[in-house]
Amino acid sequence: MHDLPTPEGQTAMIGIGEYRVGSYPMMTIGLGSCIGLTLYDDTVKVGAMVHIMLPDSAGRTDRPGKYADTAIDLLLKELTKLGCKNRSLVAKMAGGASMFEYFGANLNIGERNAVSVRKWLKENNIKLAAEDVGGKVGRSVTFTPSNRGKITVRRADGTNCEL
Amino acid sequence: MKLSAVQTDAMQELGNIGAAHAATTLSQMVGSTVQMSVPGIKAVDIADLGKYMGEESAAMVVFELQGEIQHGGFVIFYITRESAIRLTNTMLGLTEMNRPMNEMDESALLEVGNIMVSAFLDATAELLGFVMLPSPPAMTIDMVHAAMSSLIAGMGDDTDEVLLFSTELTCEEHKIDSDIIMMPEAKTLAHIIELLENMMKPA
Repeated sequence: MHDLPTPEGQTAMIGIGEYRVGSYPMMTIGLGSCIGLTLYDDTVKVGAMVHIMLPDSAGRTDRPGKYADTAIDLLLKELTKLGCKNRSLVAKMAGGASMFEYFGANLNIGERNAVSVRKWLKENNIKLAAEDVGGKVGRSVTFTPSNRGKITVRRADGTNCEL
Repeated sequence: MKLSAVQTDAMQELGNIGAAHAATTLSQMVGSTVQMSVPGIKAVDIADLGKYMGEESAAMVVFELQGEIQHGGFVIFYITRESAIRLTNTMLGLTEMNRPMNEMDESALLEVGNIMVSAFLDATAELLGFVMLPSPPAMTIDMVHAAMSSLIAGMGDDTDEVLLFSTELTCEEHKIDSDIIMMPEAKTLAHIIELLENMMKPA
């Protein structure tokens, strides 16, 4: 279900824990504490996007895209198959908000997600070129590898930015 | 967990009773008739959450289920932005629709959510003989998917599928469209099902 090719011209919607690899446009909508992470290689002109929900897989392997540690491993494997090198990959991320401050069990999942992503990127010597994380606001992210890896973030408060 | 047809019926009945009480309180607050839908039950894989809840903005007043259980899941009073303004206009005696939401709206919505969810949980507690108390409310006006996925990420167990029990409450006179959504954590759900099944056993 994760690696179906997307027909030309269509945008692939990436749900929680899912990922895509290719040069077609990709999108994650409604990121709260989740993180939309993209990796892009300008020499090969392909990229990957994943919708991460939690910071740590704690050994779970059935949904690698759901956790920061396994998601980064997975994307690197897939991108390597397409000829990408770690040193030419550039990462960007958005999300990691704290939508509800009150709930105990919810504490800082967004922030912990961002910290974990940064850690695993560093571990793999991947450059994190830009990020739009934190705050209390939901975000939707579109990623267009064919347009030099362009990322557009639309925030729930009506502001937009490019990464 | 997968629910059998009988379990689904029982949960629907529970939702029906809870939502009927919530509808009564809403009806009293707006001074008009409130209709309710048949409660819907959906098992949703987290990867597909975006098919049910998108990036549209809505107001959500969220309560965690507490009491005899800790971190039992959530009950959410969900109302679209337009309906939220109509609702608070009705309550505050205002008419202007094209205005930004302000603190007055937010505290009014918080209060409405509080009253409705308390009524919902009182009724279900009475039926089940099992007390689920609402936590103090938290509110957000934001993308629905962003809010709901954040709640799921914070649920006690690492979950891949959630059960959503939702009942639509509408007031035709004031064009108010809202939902009460219950999203129990797996253990809470199992316990509720067990209580319901015990009630249905012949004495």
